[in-house]
Amino acid sequence: MSLVRAERRRFFKRRLTRWVFPIGVLLLVTIASILFAFHSKPTPEARARGEATAEAMYQDQVREYERYKRECGDKCNDGGWTGPQRSDFRAEHYMPPSFDFKAQYGELFLVWAAIMAMVAFLLGASFVGAEWASGSMMNLLTWRPKRMKVLGTKLTVMLLSVAGLSIVALGIWTGILWAAGELRGTTEGLTPGVWQSFGLSALRGLGMILLFAALGFGLASIGRHTGLALGAALAVVIVGQVGLTILFQMIRVPFWEQYLVPIHIFAWMNKEMKLVDYSSPEMVCDTAGNCNAPELLITWQDSGSIALGLVVVVLAVAFWQMRRRDIS
Amino acid sequence: MTAVLEIQGLRKTYRARGGPRRALDGFEMYVEAGQVHGFLGPNGSGKTTTLRTLLGLIKPDSGEMRILGHELPRLLPEVVGKVGAIVESPQFFGHFTARDTLSLLADAGNLPQSRVDWALELVGLRERAKERVKTYSLGMKQRLAVASALLKQPKLLILDEPANGLDPGGIREMRDMMATLSAGGMTVVLSSHILGEIQLICDSVTIISLGRRVAAGPVAEVLQAHSSGQLRVALETPADLSAAAQVLVAGGFDLQAHEDYLIMSGVDKPALVARLLAERQLYVSELTPVTADLEDVFLELTGTAPVPGQVRSVDQSVRPELTPQNGVGA
Repeated sequence: MSLVRAERRRFFKRRLTRWVFPIGVLLLVTIASILFAFHSKPTPEARARGEATAEAMYQDQVREYERYKRECGDKCNDGGWTGPQRSDFRAEHYMPPSFDFKAQYGELFLVWAAIMAMVAFLLGASFVGAEWASGSMMNLLTWRPKRMKVLGTKLTVMLLSVAGLSIVALGIWTGILWAAGELRGTTEGLTPGVWQSFGLSALRGLGMILLFAALGFGLASIGRHTGLALGAALAVVIVGQVGLTILFQMIRVPFWEQYLVPIHIFAWMNKEMKLVDYSSPEMVCDTAGNCNAPELLITWQDSGSIALGLVVVVLAVAFWQMRRRDIS
Repeated sequence: MTAVLEIQGLRKTYRARGGPRRALDGFEMYVEAGQVHGFLGPNGSGKTTTLRTLLGLIKPDSGEMRILGHELPRLLPEVVGKVGAIVESPQFFGHFTARDTLSLLADAGNLPQSRVDWALELVGLRERAKERVKTYSLGMKQRLAVASALLKQPKLLILDEPANGLDPGGIREMRDMMATLSAGGMTVVLSSHILGEIQLICDSVTIISLGRRVAAGPVAEVLQAHSSGQLRVALETPADLSAAAQVLVAGGFDLQAHEDYLIMSGVDKPALVARLLAERQLYVSELTPVTADLEDVFLELTGTAPVPGQVRSVDQSVRPELTPQNGVGA
């Protein structure tokens, strides 16, 4: 327990923790504040204006449709369309946007998870990388020579601390968005089922944040320097994403988007991601004769398994190296 | 006396681009309880590898090591609480204060926080304990490193170049501290290149060259074993020096004549020299054995004495034959 206490104190004393986390929270607060500022509560006057605009737009469209029918007569080919429907012209479409907490909060989990994943990657990498680079790890091992226990404790403490910080950030994020719902929209319709769905999204977000933290930790541990993790991240973004995108598009790899990290992040957070290969010369037809471009469905389980596998491999190499390599 | 530290047949080879490099080649070392033991060797001789191997940071290829009777590295976790160490110049997080640095180590070692002030006081850093380490001079960082090693109140203290960066006052304080700690029963292993300091502080020494022990034992015995047995002779009247040389050569002595004195070799009874010269009215003003200091012995044993006009490579030192006779008094 003493090592856990020491590592926890070390984590929260670190300059990077004291800077990067508040910067991450500041980003979230800024985004939430912009959302707050650009939404407004629907007043009766605004609704009346919206209704009037919707009615005017509907009438406009009806006139246009009737003129069209008059002009083409029997030759009209409108595919069975019976003209504009009043129900398609809703007052909300012509009113200043209001924040619907139930509809929008779930979609915005991705923002929190993405920003905190970036923070977590940095914190995870520097927590062990700076220790190696500064010689503090060697110093610590002269106190606690059980290397596996030392690295395992560091990883556990880092993950728990990052989880704690992420939950605090989520609290702040939720608080501002809830205020936006209360003051600039609505918080109605929040049934237990909706909250359960939010909870599961938050858990997936937290899982993603922790995987990024562990990945940064593992890479920095293998390279014994924070720079290796950051370099690997940069290489993945530049070579793995931009480079592969250009290459795969050039050689027309079907469903090339499946090799992009953001696609898997979307799939993980939104439960699934459907890719459509519009460049394919072949179409897929069902029994009714409807033909569409080929599709590929990536589920959150697919993306989660790939990410988990990658992190497990990186951590396994990091721990194996910790056991085997001389420390000099 | 009880051996606090025992090393036998320690071997370690590093894989390097230019081929394997043998850092330790059957190295041996014994340190008895309560001693201040000097650990000397030229750069690249294997000192730091030895210390790191003892502390479990480097895995040896073969050999036996024991600290306080505990076999290493298997039982290192059991004995590590009794071993305080600094290896080379330990780096600390520059943005932590000295107190934070020691406090975190105390937590990691499950030690009471009261030890932190005690250690800071001992190395003279208490007044500056709340300042960030990045504002410290090299000497102050070195003091902090020593404080971190003392935090455990260890039975065996291993210090690699503790005087590095210290001012003359600091070196003297460090020397006094070693003496005090040793008097209190702590065994100190001190690696340093300041040989004068080692000669002053240490009870015994081990000298290593290219991974092998070249000498070991009490400082006085090592010096004695490697002194030349030569005698320096000067006369009241320097003009009589050549006459004295003729007398001594005629008496069967080997000697070298210098401008103001003679150096004689293989003299069993110095009194005989004085008597022989006095019989010819040649009166001796100086008749002293030529004693070697630790620096001389070190340079001789490791073959690292500078030669005018030559540049010595780091690895260019003496590798002794591996025999049980290596060293003295072991």
